[in-house]
Amino acid sequence: MSIAQSLENIGFLSDFADSVLVYPIVLSIHLTDIALFGGMILMTNLRLLGLTFNSVSITQMITTLRPWKRLGGTVQICTGLLLATSEATKYAPNPYFWTKMIILALIGVHALIFRPTVYNNTEELDKSNVIPIRVKVAAILSLVLWTAMFTMGRMIAYWED
Amino acid sequence: MRATLLFVATLVVPTTGQENHGSMLLQNSIADTLNNTEWAFPLAECIHIGGFAVSIGSIALVDFRMLNLALRKEPTARILRYTELWTVVALVFVLFSGLMLFLSQTGIYLINPIFPIKMYVLGAALIYNFTIHRKVATIENPSPGLSKTVAIVSLLLWVAVVFGGIFTGFLE
Repeated sequence: MSIAQSLENIGFLSDFADSVLVYPIVLSIHLTDIALFGGMILMTNLRLLGLTFNSVSITQMITTLRPWKRLGGTVQICTGLLLATSEATKYAPNPYFWTKMIILALIGVHALIFRPTVYNNTEELDKSNVIPIRVKVAAILSLVLWTAMFTMGRMIAYWED
Repeated sequence: MRATLLFVATLVVPTTGQENHGSMLLQNSIADTLNNTEWAFPLAECIHIGGFAVSIGSIALVDFRMLNLALRKEPTARILRYTELWTVVALVFVLFSGLMLFLSQTGIYLINPIFPIKMYVLGAALIYNFTIHRKVATIENPSPGLSKTVAIVSLLLWVAVVFGGIFTGFLE
């Protein structure tokens, strides 16, 4: 038996996939989370690009939203894991799913690269009126990666074996 | 609402009568494009998802401020001013892509038990957002109780719209 099959056969996961109500409820939470916390990611990046929230400091924008984005990310991972593992045999061969996972990894790489100079360096950034180019690059890359992320999420449903 | 939807449907759905040639052709061509072009339907769905993430997310930022959960140093009115344009532009994308999705499978949506409920809640959320929510977000010193109640109602309405959208897809 493959790993995907074994995963699917874990008791509560197979109950989960079989339930008429629980699956769409978890998917709805996954999508609501995109709206609430994806919106915060977008607004933070727009601030870094100087497109809105200009009188709000970058520090305030990033530090006050950070705990909420972390909560949102945790909810995304938990609901995403439930959705994927309960249908593991459908997800395992799906190229869109793996593309999405690669993008998720790239988002991690993005954080590693830009944390020290951008997201954890906000007080320095607030001292100057000019937003450095690397900050804008970080914001644009973040927007591109997150757009690719939810697009691949939707495309998972369109792949047929 | 159901009556309104049926009225819209009579305008756009092919009928045995010959009165509505123009709208019939329009509906057919939209449906044909969405159903027969491989990428058109998923593209409309992605625009719909991206659009609601931006519109609901920007409204939620105002709500989080009203609940004192983020950006406390800024007045709520300023958060509203900075987000409003993004909210409205994104809503246009959501409504337009939603209309395309609806027109592609009008019959299925009209017999769907959840879809009309979603439309009611969406109507309520839109009206609420641009009346009560906007008013309370812009007044100088609202009572904390009022602000928080208004923000929670706003979040509940929009969350209900997203749930309605998913359940429309699951219970067809």
